[in-house]
Amino acid sequence: MWTPLIIAVVVGCAALVGWAGWRAVADRPVILRQLVAAGVVEALLVVEVVVAAVSSATGAGPADVATFWGYLVTTLVVLPVAAVWAFAERTRWSSVVLLVAALTVAFLQYRLVQVWAG
Amino acid sequence: MTAGHPSAPSPPAGDGRTATGPGRLVVAVYAVLALAATGRSAKQIAVDFSTAPLAYSLSAVAAVVYLLATVALARGGPRWRPVAWGAVGTELVGVVVVGALSLTATELFADATVWSGFGQGYGYVPLVLPVVGLWWLARTRPRRGPTDR
Repeated sequence: MWTPLIIAVVVGCAALVGWAGWRAVADRPVILRQLVAAGVVEALLVVEVVVAAVSSATGAGPADVATFWGYLVTTLVVLPVAAVWAFAERTRWSSVVLLVAALTVAFLQYRLVQVWAG
Repeated sequence: MTAGHPSAPSPPAGDGRTATGPGRLVVAVYAVLALAATGRSAKQIAVDFSTAPLAYSLSAVAAVVYLLATVALARGGPRWRPVAWGAVGTELVGVVVVGALSLTATELFADATVWSGFGQGYGYVPLVLPVVGLWWLARTRPRRGPTDR
């Protein structure tokens, strides 16, 4: 239940990294379809929050509670900021920012797994 | 925000703006590092400050400097650019000095900071970022036209 969700988020992030990277190289800004894809990843992150909260409530919570929730809340903020910037910055640099945002979310998944296990 | 050419690869250098074009990337990476440093130092200080008072104090200082740099670079303009220079410069000095000390005077550092080992724990981003930040500030330095002053 937990691991497939992490894998789904990481795969989604990898797809976003590739797509945004390709558009950055092609000197193109972020398009709406990419933001829809980012929205799907964001929805998976919200599911993670629910799963983590339910697990914690039933006694199987993270080893390091404060760090875990710190990472999880941070994760939720990253893609929306990149999305707002995609509207403000209509150059290739919005693509570069989306790429970095997706990388950050993927890296935070790795840290979340680490912190959960302790 | 809509005044520029939509297809321009980057904004014209020299208009003093630090948060558009490639600057978005600089601000984004600063924001991530500021969050990481703030989270880390808040946790270190809250959990057990006495374990490594110097390292934990430095973590807090680093966090404040990163937050300041993020805000200053995001705002830009004549008021914030000097703040950005100061914050980014402080980081470069901090990461070099603390990086060197953490390797030579290990007894001072019972626990790691963002700057330990030249930012090793953060993929050396803390070492590279201030250099990029200084370069970006220099590149976006406003040109003085004949109408200035």
